[in-house]
Amino acid sequence: MTENKSYDRSDRGDDRRERGGNRGNNNRRFVSRPKFCQFCSDPKIAIDYKNVDLLSRLINETGKIRPRRQTGTCAKHQREVATAIKNARHIALLPFEGDFWADNN
Amino acid sequence: MHKYELVVILQADLEEAVLDAAVENIETLIKSNEGEITKIDRWGKRKLAYPINKTNEGYYFYVEFDYKPEEVANLKRTMGFNEQVLRSSVIRVD
Repeated sequence: MTENKSYDRSDRGDDRRERGGNRGNNNRRFVSRPKFCQFCSDPKIAIDYKNVDLLSRLINETGKIRPRRQTGTCAKHQREVATAIKNARHIALLPFEGDFWADNN
Repeated sequence: MHKYELVVILQADLEEAVLDAAVENIETLIKSNEGEITKIDRWGKRKLAYPINKTNEGYYFYVEFDYKPEEVANLKRTMGFNEQVLRSSVIRVD
């Protein structure tokens, strides 16, 4: 969902060319993300290394831990999430790398 | 005494009786060192997220127990000697 607000761009040159290297523009082009921590808003969700369903949502398809800016998790809970994922990896509940449950043996 | 969680992955291709014996072995091992088991859960056969020792499946087994902290290293070590155990992890909960 990219909601493009119409900013005044008359003072800029070619917008397309600037897109790559020019950071710090106030035009956001990225996917909207949750703006609150799901673990703070619902204390009943326990961050547990055994909870594969929960943790598999917090890794990306290459098996990496997804950053806070994508998941909206607060710093405190992100630390817990990180250790939980690492514990789960050790007992082969989550992959260290590669696709999860991809049937390639 | 502290609270710990133990997850053991046994070889999945073992027979039922052998698996039961292996599980029992671990239970008695914990109890013999004044450990107190509060919960046992068998997750059963599961697919591994990545191959361990060239196998893709494992028999998961979970124990919650109270244990002396100084004995934990010993427990981990003995777990490594057991050839039926693919992987094990001891995690302190409290």
